Formats: sequence, structure tokens, C-alpha cells
Amino acid sequence: MQPIKLNISVKTFIFLILAIFSATSYGEIELLGEASIEIRSFQNEGLFGQEKNHSSFTFSPELYFESENGKDFFSIKPKFRKDAEDNERNLEDLQEFQWTHVGKNYETKIGIRKDFWGVTETVHRVDILNQTDSVDGFDGEDKLGQPMINLSLEREWGVLDLYALIGSRERTFAGEKGRLRTPFIVDTHNPMYESNEEENRIDFAVRWNHYFNDLELAISHFSGTTREPLLIPTPEGNSIKLLPKYDLIDQTGLEALYIIEGWVLKLEAITRSGQDDRFTALTTGFEYTQTGIFDTSLDLGWIIELNHDDREDHSPHAIGTRFSFNDIDDSQLLLGVLWNESTGETNVFIEGSKRIGARTKLSIEGVIFNGGKKVERNNFDFNNVNPLDFLQEEDFLRMELTIFL
Amino acid sequence: MNFTSVMKSTFFALFLLSSSFSFADDSLKGLEIAIKADKTSDGFVDSQSTMEMQLTNRKGNVVTRKMKSKRLEMKGDGDKSLIIFESPRDVKGVAILSFSHKTSADDQWLYLPALKRVKRIASKNKSGPFLGSEYTFEDLSSQEVEKFSYLFLRDEDLDGQPNHVIERTPLDPYSGYTKQIVWIDKKNFLVQKVEYYDRKSFHLKTGTFSGYKKYLDKIWQASRMEIVNHQNKKKTVLIFKDIAYKTGLSDKDFSQNSLKRSR
Repeated sequence: MQPIKLNISVKTFIFLILAIFSATSYGEIELLGEASIEIRSFQNEGLFGQEKNHSSFTFSPELYFESENGKDFFSIKPKFRKDAEDNERNLEDLQEFQWTHVGKNYETKIGIRKDFWGVTETVHRVDILNQTDSVDGFDGEDKLGQPMINLSLEREWGVLDLYALIGSRERTFAGEKGRLRTPFIVDTHNPMYESNEEENRIDFAVRWNHYFNDLELAISHFSGTTREPLLIPTPEGNSIKLLPKYDLIDQTGLEALYIIEGWVLKLEAITRSGQDDRFTALTTGFEYTQTGIFDTSLDLGWIIELNHDDREDHSPHAIGTRFSFNDIDDSQLLLGVLWNESTGETNVFIEGSKRIGARTKLSIEGVIFNGGKKVERNNFDFNNVNPLDFLQEEDFLRMELTIFL
Repeated sequence: MNFTSVMKSTFFALFLLSSSFSFADDSLKGLEIAIKADKTSDGFVDSQSTMEMQLTNRKGNVVTRKMKSKRLEMKGDGDKSLIIFESPRDVKGVAILSFSHKTSADDQWLYLPALKRVKRIASKNKSGPFLGSEYTFEDLSSQEVEKFSYLFLRDEDLDGQPNHVIERTPLDPYSGYTKQIVWIDKKNFLVQKVEYYDRKSFHLKTGTFSGYKKYLDKIWQASRMEIVNHQNKKKTVLIFKDIAYKTGLSDKDFSQNSLKRSR
């Protein structure tokens, strides 16, 4: 269970926004939401005896309204998830609880919210404001709400965003019965922090972005509690558990995107200090779209992204093809491979989605892990394992039906 | 060289010249008509409307999409526009910001509300269908005069009204069309009908414009657009509602920040 932990500053924060809510005259209130049922079906029983079929239910209502003068916007969006197998996959989160104010030449966004940085498709290196809800999806694109004060200045020289991040969130990790899970369980109840203020530290971030015709550029810096904890093996009885360690880091990021004809060239790079040695990591590649293939309305999009990370000998590269059928149901299919040059491991994935009627959407996802050697549950050499060794039993198919309210 | 051959070549040159003159003349006349047609929406400053898109498939089943549209006229450059999707529900909040340019490719950004992500997209891919409809991005984007070359074809009646018929050829090599035949009425210079010819010069689609109304005493705006695809027999109707001009929009309403909070 990952309950909404509200520290004092966040409570003050929410109180403040509520005060502004009540002091503003606003127009019509919009009530929206979505509910989804997800079924994940694994080919085999898990290495640690986990069930083959996992199901979960997610509900996320949304309340939105704006002031009559059109200068203030409020949104509240909690998210609840209940998993039938893994308690660690249950979630109660405030994804949004924010007040946006548009001034003459600035914008403030105060409260709990999500904000994305980045240009690439397969790995998001620069994106750092929000913690990843890593148990939600395989792609790491599901995030937890982050309390913050954001001042945004939009000028001729670009957009400058300044952030004060009020506290930090812990990454979610699968529990004992969960899938996909680490070979040893991550003890999310006993995180370690470098900061004495632990998860209540106020962190800072800044990002400038601008475009020059066909070139988009962004430079960012984050200083504070890492979103990516180190997992420290710690003995527990005659087994081992992993303790997440949240160090203080400094991370500078670069994003670049260049459009040349139908090609979109992309680069994301970071350099980070504070966790062991300073390291750099980057993702670069392109996206190319062919429209109207075979005299149909089908678009074919090609994605290739290469990775480098100082912390790894070889990072997997990604190749993907996106089929956009451009039909009434907005049918999409993405086929891809992640390929690790040094270990020869591959990870084949398929993602598809299609609208059903006006309010329902069906999504499917399948992943097959190839290569890697089979390991025994209680008998492996930790110094001689490849990344996918523990995922040999984890090939899965996921189906999700989302109803929009 | 004898006299006859000199005469022959002179005549030939004159013939060539005169034919190219008439060619230039028809181009000029075509361009003049296009400029007059463009003037009918000149000086709109800014506009807002809601759009209802009705998609009809081959069997005659209809589904409806709803959008909001905001436009800002730019002096000396193409218009800025923001389209915000309202329905179907799964794409609610998805928005597209476009800065069109008179000669260079348009700048386009897509906002994905689920990821809170602003994504720059290659506008060269504009010949693909727009939201599963028979319209492409190209059909719906700002039709700047400078984006085509013109040829006057003929005058003829359309639905009992006298019309100019011109041919326009997109100058952008990434256009989905080799040419478009456009009917423009002689009285008010309003586009009545467009025939779209695809890359193989096949007559792919026909668009019609109706329900023109005059705003601010000078701006003409169609309230209904319809496009029929002759290849797949599908049809899309676009209905414009709540049209308002000079609503006080500015550059600020067409920025990346405004894209992020568009609803």
C-alpha cells in the first residue's frame, strides 16, 4: 500500500489552495473521470511462485473549474488503484491538486501536479520532476503527483520555468506476490535518505526551453532528492532485502530535437552527481513517418533510439514501428525490440490501442524476454547475472479496458 | 540562313512567346482571383469557434467529434491556430498548436494531457487523415496565397451562380496533392467547391463550402464544409458554431504554456 503521505508543508499548501478556491468566483464545474480494468496474464508461474493471472482496477475522477475572468484554473485529480494480487501495487495518489494563475507576463502553478520534460520515446532521461509509479506500467511513463510551486516566464528568449519542489515521493516497487519484481524484495517501508529532512526536503529545479525554426532546445538543472534510488542489499533473517536509498543529487539535462524533412532527430543527455561517481547518460535517435502507405490511410512511423549510460557496460537500444491506421477508432499498433548488444538479450514488445464507441478504449500490451539464462529461485550468483535472467518466466500479455466518465 | 527560314523561326518564336504570354496571363488571372478570395477573410484579427465533425462511413453510420478552434491573424506571416479536442472522450484535452508560414513549413506542437507532454511534430506529415476524417491537416490549415501557383481555367455556373474556376498547384513538395480545382463565385469571391487531385493526379476528394455569413461587415466564413472521398466513399461534414471574431486573443493565447492549459 502506498498511502498519500502528507507532510506539514503539503498540508499548508492544500489549505492555501482551498482558501484561494473559496475566494474566487468561478464558472461551470467540470466533473470527469476514468475507470479501468486491467488483466495481466503471464505465460508461466513466477520464479517466486507468483500467480499467472493478475488483475487490477483503477479509478481516477477529475474536478476542473476556472475563474470567471479566465485567469485562474483549478484541477483536482486523485487516482486509486486496487490490485488483486500485490498489495504494493495498490495506490492512493493525488495526481493533481493545483491552482494555475495566468498573470500579465508570467504564470504560476501551485499545488500537486505533473509536468513532463523530454523529447525521446523509449527512455526518458531528463524527466525528473515527478516520481515514477513503476509498478503501474512497464514503460515508466506513469507518474505520481508532486507538490510544487512553479513560476513560468514566457518571453522572446523562450520559456523559463523555476520550480520549488515541496518534498519528494518514493518510487513504487512490486511486493512479494507482484510481477514484475526484483529477485529480492524492495522494502518500501524503510527508505533511507541522505537528507536529514528525509522526504520533506524542499528541492529546486530550473528549465529553459525555446525553439529556433526547426530546432527545439531545452536545458535543465535539478538539485535535490533523487527519483531513482539505489537499492542496497541488507540481510534480513537468512534472506536479503533491498533498501531504497535516496541520495541528494545534482542533475543537468539537455534536450534537443531537430526536424529535417519528415525526420525528427532527438537527443536527451544528463550528467548526474551525488550517487557514487558522477556519470553521464544519453539517448539519441530519430522518428520518421511515412504517410498513406500502400494507398491506404495507414501511417508507418519508424523509431530508432540508441542509449549510452556510464553506469552500464552496454545499454539496450530500441527499434520500433508504429502503425497508425487513421480510422474512426484511432487504432494504433507499436511493435518494437529492445536489444542489448553486450549480453545479446532482446525484449520484444507490442502495444496496441483502439477506441470502442465514444467513451471506451481498449489497450493491449505484450512483452517477450529473450536470452538470459534461467536462474533457480534460491540459488544464483549475484555477481554473474544478466539483466533479463530474472525475467525468464515473465513474458506477459496485458489488456486494459478504460471507460471515460 | 535564308529569308524563309528566318521568317519561320521568327514566327515560331512569336508563337512560343504568345502562347507563353497567354499562359502567364492565365496564371496572373488565377492569382488575382485567389488574392481576391483571400481578401474575404483579411483583417479578421482573431477568431474562436466550436467545430462539430461528422464522419460518415461507407454504410452510412455517423460518428461525431467536437473541437474548439482559436485563430490569430499575423501580419506578414501565416496565422497561428490552436485546435482543442473535446470528444471522443479519450482524446479530450489533446491540442494542436500551429504556426503557419507563407512559404516555409509550418511549426506544430501536439499536447498530450495524459503525459502532460508537449511534443513538436513534423508538419511535413500533413497529408495524413485528421482525426480519422476525410480531411487532412493540409486541408484544414491556413490556405495562404503564397502556398500555391495558379492558373485561371474558365468561368462557369455552379448551382446557378456564376463562378470562376481556377487550378492551384501546391508549391510544397510534401503536399498530398498535385493540384486542386477551385470554384470561386464571381459576386463575393467565396470558395464554393474544391476538387482535390492526389499524388497520382487521381480525383480523390471533393469539398464543398456553404452557409457563408458575413462578420465584422467584411469577413466571410462558411458555417458548413463537406468533403467526399471518391475512393473510399466516406464523407466528413464540418459544422462551425459559436463563431466570434475580435475576441481579444493575443500571442499569449498561442504559446506553449497556453497549449498546456488548453481545455
